[in-house]
Amino acid sequence: MTPPGQSRARRGSARWWRGAGGGAARLVWLHVVGRRVPAALAVILACAAGLRVALLWQWKDYGALQLPLLFETGCAAAIAVAAAGPFGEPERATGGRLPWLRLGTALALTAVAAGALLAAGGTLRGVRDLAGLVGVGLLCAVLLGGAPAWAGPLGYAMAGVYALYTQWHAPALTTPWIWPGRPAGDVGGAVCAALVFAAGTALFTWRGARDVST
Amino acid sequence: MTARLLRLELRRNAMVWMLPLLGLLFWLVAFRRGVAYPPLWNIRATSMQTAAVSVFAPSVVGVAAWIGSREGRHGMTGLLTSTARPRWARQVVAWAATTCWALLAYLVCVGVLYGVTAAQGAWGGPLWWPAIVGAASLPAFAAAGFAAGALRPSRLTAPVAAVGVFLALQLTVQLIHGDRSHWQISPLVANPWNLGADQGVATFYRYLPDLPIAQLLFLAGCTAALLGVVGLPAGSGGPWLRRSAAAVTAAGLLAAGSAAALAGTARIDPHGMVAIPVLHRAADDRPVPYTPICAGTPVPVCLHPAYAVYLPAAVEALAPVLGAVAGLPGAPVRVTQAATTYRSGPGGIGVARAGEAWSRTPTEYRLLLPSQLPGRTLTLEQVAAAVRADAGRDIVASVIGAARDATPAQDAVVAALLGTPASVTDPDAAAAAQRLAALPPDARRAWLADHLDALRAGTLTVEQLP
Repeated sequence: MTPPGQSRARRGSARWWRGAGGGAARLVWLHVVGRRVPAALAVILACAAGLRVALLWQWKDYGALQLPLLFETGCAAAIAVAAAGPFGEPERATGGRLPWLRLGTALALTAVAAGALLAAGGTLRGVRDLAGLVGVGLLCAVLLGGAPAWAGPLGYAMAGVYALYTQWHAPALTTPWIWPGRPAGDVGGAVCAALVFAAGTALFTWRGARDVST
Repeated sequence: MTARLLRLELRRNAMVWMLPLLGLLFWLVAFRRGVAYPPLWNIRATSMQTAAVSVFAPSVVGVAAWIGSREGRHGMTGLLTSTARPRWARQVVAWAATTCWALLAYLVCVGVLYGVTAAQGAWGGPLWWPAIVGAASLPAFAAAGFAAGALRPSRLTAPVAAVGVFLALQLTVQLIHGDRSHWQISPLVANPWNLGADQGVATFYRYLPDLPIAQLLFLAGCTAALLGVVGLPAGSGGPWLRRSAAAVTAAGLLAAGSAAALAGTARIDPHGMVAIPVLHRAADDRPVPYTPICAGTPVPVCLHPAYAVYLPAAVEALAPVLGAVAGLPGAPVRVTQAATTYRSGPGGIGVARAGEAWSRTPTEYRLLLPSQLPGRTLTLEQVAAAVRADAGRDIVASVIGAARDATPAQDAVVAALLGTPASVTDPDAAAAAQRLAALPPDARRAWLADHLDALRAGTLTVEQLP
């Protein structure tokens, strides 16, 4: 038998936890919905499906390398756009949990994109390129604002596509800072992509996307 | 009032913020690659068209989609319905402002590349058709992005449209097989796609405007159709305006479809360009008149002035050979440059010398530079080595009669005159070639003149070489 007072205390504690857990879940849900994460997820899954379909064909020379990069760019652009919040400055005053929400959202979306692309037939080289592109997108979100942040991954992808092209047509672009042009397993390219991803994620976690009126 | 609206849109257009990125990408993808080629208008202009469209198209589509979705994203569509201008008119002005900025950036970028090419002394005038097709693609891409943004306003529309167009452009060129492909209508295509960047095209003959005209028709049709689509939804304007939009859309689709159909009737002409029978003018098939530039060697080496950059390399490669055989029977009195001829076949596009290597009255050798053939870009040293190996061998073989079944002595003489005695596989012949190559040029020439008849008859043995 449980003493009546203790039972009441336990019920109260359970309610508190249910309330706290439910509150956290609601907070995460509102954060995610406010940033159009479901729509971004739909774009990511569409890109993975597109990659799956594209891999059914035989592509000639650099098309085989360029097409996956474009699908990775689509994923990275969607993640970058999902960095923008609808509230701007007032949201920053709501407490200390916002950076963690940003970090969690960015990492979760990146993980989902990497998993979806791998499941669709992508490679670890593609995951490297995706991580770097997400880093570029998050850096653009911090510097330019979340909504126009897609321009970063897109512009970078053009340079990447060209770097792949130059593997067949000189003068070749071999800098590891344009990692899509580097082969799979290349340490320099992987380090650069990881550095950009880390920098983008850290800055975005700390500062969030810049508020811009567009 | 429209002018004032345009000024406002120009001032607040998001395209302005993309200009530095566009400039950087143009430099990386188009300019850097373009100036790596020799200063030839044909190859720089055609490669510029492909690279510039690749750079500008996704960016312009993205920004136009962003601007096109502006009213919808801000929930202002209903509020702005009460303004004096119909919605379609406002949208067309915003599209025009985006296009103006994109065109300005494009013209500056192309102007710099063309200016540098002209300053490097490229022969003849600039090729304008590739630049015009690139410029005409910008309104079409802006209209595509604008239509996507206006019809599906969301913050994700811009990236999806931009990446989608990037992907579509890549896919279209992957689908080009042979010279009768409808996909050649893509503004990325400036010359036969499977040929790649080729220095032999549009030098001896004019750049054919057939494909560019079809592309312009296609792009104009796409622009009209996409802008018309923006005016179709309810709320875009009154019934009269929407009917006009429908008519514009239909006319645009008709024009674009006709142009794509025309591209499907194309063929590779013998000069390596895309000819479309309906659009073709026979006058464009006439060769471009030119005065060759010649080097003052004992046997003049003359090239087309567009290839002037290769003249020192060709002279350096051929001077030892020409010095040894000048005046001997079978030796050329002049070396001139041949044009290339192209033929499309199941295995791709075949490229060869137009006409024979030798013209007999007077005896001229018609040189084909290796850079006139498709393939990777060669350095001047590589060009010189290839000219020595091909043209030099042809000339010596003509003088000493070394055809397919050359004797060891003939092989040794060829190797000695080309300066490659180590290339002879027979040890005795290799030793003889080294002895002959070691002679002073005058002694070598005198020996050759004395023994030419025996060499040509094939009766000279390796041991009889000096």
